[in-house]
Amino acid sequence: MLNQKTIWAFIFVIPIVLYLVIFSLGPILFSFWVSLNDWNLIAPLGEMKFRGLENYAYIFQQDDRFRQALLNTIRFTILGVGANTILGLAGALLLNSRLRYRGLWRTIFFLPMVTAPLALGMMWGTLLNKNFGLINRILLAIGLPAQPFLSSPDQALYCIILIAVYQYVGYYIVVFTAGLQGIPQEYFDAAAVDGANSIQTFWHITLPLLRPVLLFLVVTNTIGALQVFDIVFATTTGGAETSGGGPAGATMVLVLHMYNNAFKFFRMGRASAMAIVLFAIIFIVTLIQLRLVRERD
Amino acid sequence: MDSKNVNVLHVLGQVLKYAALILLGIWMLLPFYWMISASLMTSKEIIQMPPPLVPVAPQWHNYVRVTEVVDLGRSYLNSILVTSLTVLGILFTSSLAGFAFAKYQFPGRNVLFSMILATMMIPFFVILIPVFYVVKQFGWTNNYAGLIMPGLVSAYGIFMMRQFILTLPDELLDAARIDGANEFRIYWQIILPLTGPALATLGVFNMISVWNSFLWPLLIAQSPDLYTVPLALNNLRTYGMEAQVLNLQMAGTVASVIPTLIVFIFLQRYFTQGIALTGLKG
Repeated sequence: MLNQKTIWAFIFVIPIVLYLVIFSLGPILFSFWVSLNDWNLIAPLGEMKFRGLENYAYIFQQDDRFRQALLNTIRFTILGVGANTILGLAGALLLNSRLRYRGLWRTIFFLPMVTAPLALGMMWGTLLNKNFGLINRILLAIGLPAQPFLSSPDQALYCIILIAVYQYVGYYIVVFTAGLQGIPQEYFDAAAVDGANSIQTFWHITLPLLRPVLLFLVVTNTIGALQVFDIVFATTTGGAETSGGGPAGATMVLVLHMYNNAFKFFRMGRASAMAIVLFAIIFIVTLIQLRLVRERD
Repeated sequence: MDSKNVNVLHVLGQVLKYAALILLGIWMLLPFYWMISASLMTSKEIIQMPPPLVPVAPQWHNYVRVTEVVDLGRSYLNSILVTSLTVLGILFTSSLAGFAFAKYQFPGRNVLFSMILATMMIPFFVILIPVFYVVKQFGWTNNYAGLIMPGLVSAYGIFMMRQFILTLPDELLDAARIDGANEFRIYWQIILPLTGPALATLGVFNMISVWNSFLWPLLIAQSPDLYTVPLALNNLRTYGMEAQVLNLQMAGTVASVIPTLIVFIFLQRYFTQGIALTGLKG
């Protein structure tokens, strides 16, 4: 029995659901399928060559750049998210304390967050330039040796992490601040009555009550960090001929390697296999989150 | 503890607090300061040793010269067009679907809603190749449709608008129905005006992320006529790696980041609200 309201509801919803089937759900299935084939994007779908799991075997066994990209991405994610969690919490505690010009401080910390990652990459690329960057000239001016930064295989990934931490710390501060403001004042009052000092209050009241917020931040940002692309592209790709990824692939990351395979070399099968590996990692991280959230409830 | 000790500790705490804030603040502002300063320097000043903190005579014509290298004006128009149409699309689809899921009973409602939520778990990069293929099949590569069409629906936006519209009383709808309004008019004239704050949050948030997006336009816009601002900036980046063009690159960077900074400074409240909401819902 379709009454008029039901028909209207379908009119509202069906086009949007269809849209998501075309641009989101269908594509994820298509990605799976392409990862099992050889395909160059241009050939008709019927001419795809089925290869089973060969693409996966190839990227894990023979594609050294892929393994390097995977390791770099994991290192980037762990170090970046870890540093940002600590800095963001510290920043939120600072901004939540009695403070002059709080609004101004907030704005300053949030500026990088709204700036295009590509622009941030260019700004930091200029600052960290080996030959004429401001940072090196400051180092020289105070008598320290200049550093190669982005052009060194040992330092490049840390430079990328620095830029990412710089970019996202404001995001962590906003969410932690919202979390802090959600803690009822009575808890702090009770702790004060019991004679707890500020460090004890932090460990036994603030931190446990922030756990859901912390969990959310770590998971969403892990998912985001696993997909880092713009800042690596902006700081380490040169002219049209280079594939980027820094000196000796020191900053090659999953999405950049996937992008190169897909849109430079037109190896859609391998690129899709990489995409599915990325999806699997993200899926596992999400499952862990759901598990932890359930435990809490 | 005597009061003198407490006082010393308090002062020490304050000093440490402001020292930490100032250090963080310098770190945050240094790239912006240098970007602006360098954009006004001569190419000699930019590599001078020791580095000048500000240009001796600001080279405003760097901003003119940069438009001779890349067509910034055109890119601005492209970005404004793409961003505004995409954001309007997101606001429309999010509020319409959010309204339907919040206020109607229909068969399959929960299944469809779960399906939409499930798409939030699919990262865009994972489906980059298939979405590119779909767009190519539609014949939208290298045109505006290709830049705009894949971004018109936000699963998160639908979720957020549904939560918001759930809080609006049903009596409003019933009253309008008695007056003979059809369901679309109820959405358009009753619901939509009441969702202002939620729409503003969603809009500001998406405005900034669409304006800044890079990889998708990079794949779609092959001709410079279609370049959005980040693509023009990228073009400028690869134009030359030498110090001689650094001031132009920084001028271009300044020009590219100004719109989002202005939007952010004036609409900061909505932006931070949007982030805080996502954080507390999770």
